[in-house]
Amino acid sequence: MNEEMTIQSLVKVMLKRWLLILMLTILSIGVALLISYFIQTPIYEAETQILVNQKSYENQQLVGAQNVDTDLRLINTYNVIIKSPVILAKVIEVLVLDTTPEKLMRQIEVSSANNSQVVNIRVQDENSERAVKIANTIAEIFKEEIPVLMHVDNINILFVAQNSEHPVPVKPNKLLNLIIAAITGFSLAMVLAYFLEKIDRTIKTEQDIEVLSLPVIGVVSNIEMPTRKKSRNRGSS
Amino acid sequence: MFSKRKTKKSTMARKLITVSDMTSIPSEQYRTIRANIKFSQPNRDVRTILVTSSIAGEGKSTNAANIGVVFAQEGKNVLIVDADMRKPTLHHTFYLDNISGLSSVLSRQSTLQEVIQETFVEGVDIISSGAIPPNPTELLASETMTSFLAEVKDLYDIIILDAPPLLFLSDAQILSNKCDGTLLIVNTGVVGKAAVIKSKSILTVSKANILGVILNNYKIKGSTYEYYYGKE
Repeated sequence: MNEEMTIQSLVKVMLKRWLLILMLTILSIGVALLISYFIQTPIYEAETQILVNQKSYENQQLVGAQNVDTDLRLINTYNVIIKSPVILAKVIEVLVLDTTPEKLMRQIEVSSANNSQVVNIRVQDENSERAVKIANTIAEIFKEEIPVLMHVDNINILFVAQNSEHPVPVKPNKLLNLIIAAITGFSLAMVLAYFLEKIDRTIKTEQDIEVLSLPVIGVVSNIEMPTRKKSRNRGSS
Repeated sequence: MFSKRKTKKSTMARKLITVSDMTSIPSEQYRTIRANIKFSQPNRDVRTILVTSSIAGEGKSTNAANIGVVFAQEGKNVLIVDADMRKPTLHHTFYLDNISGLSSVLSRQSTLQEVIQETFVEGVDIISSGAIPPNPTELLASETMTSFLAEVKDLYDIIILDAPPLLFLSDAQILSNKCDGTLLIVNTGVVGKAAVIKSKSILTVSKANILGVILNNYKIKGSTYEYYYGKE
């Protein structure tokens, strides 16, 4: 068939199989709810901020911009160092965590705003308290290690992650999951409905017959009224 | 209003709607078909009409019977022949037996007059299929069949043949060549386009004169029909 996929045909298909579309959408939302609430473990997040700043600015001749510039350049290096096993192995050791540096690395996100000397260390964990501990420990160990590694002492802990009384998990994002599920379910249903429409090659209207270039001599409606069982009025041949 | 009356109808009434309820929508549709058959071939004398379909169960017998009845209601002398010697059903529709019929004539066991049965519908006679023969295709293809058709043409105005389905069996194809016109029944919403295209090509190959297609179990949209014909 060379029918074009027009808005009208889509709407027609939608109206025809609205129940299927609705059911599939609701079903996928249901599945998303189930997964978000019962299967996915909630993940908590803790954030520590460190400030990269030379303590000895005032003692030097060259003040201001140049030092700040140096610090900014260092931040990129720091971002990598924070996530390196050098730091993380120590964190695991100190906190006696049952994990590997590689696994821990995946829980950590280090970021800094553009041209800012503040570095955010974000840690995600299934346990909110542990997330806080890890975040703070990373910051501390990093602060301790940097003078050894880089021969500079320019790290200040700006903000220590705190334990919250009512920690709110960052994952799973239920609303986002629901929206994604609803959209996915709806699109799947539409594709399915359209597919069903396409594979239904049965003849239904006079137009279908005329396309086959056969004359239509007449139509015969269901002799039985729709209130009765359909199969019983099938003409025997 | 409609459904109340329908529920009381017997099997016969549902099949022979043109007898049981002449004012019903299908009866009116059969009258339209009758008119269209006449107008479709103005230059040809269409008197032997073959009713067939692509597959089984599309409503060939029911349509054959009802078309026969509407022609009779117009005053025509109608003969309906059950040419489906594999699964004959026409005699059931008219509450007749099937001791001897078409197969008896074709195998020269009976004469034409012996097998013609009158029905309770005025102007409609039928010839049932007769005993199920081992070689229906050969019988239908025989010269006897051709002369049988010529013979009944002298006796009746309209002869309607109820044939087996077109696909998988060659009976209907053979018959379509011997008849003046062929009606193809298409069960709406059941038969695929490919099947109908195949049926059409089968009929074209046998040089059948396709009168047209009848869409059976057609779903009317809206209430236009009821507005015109539904009220009594």
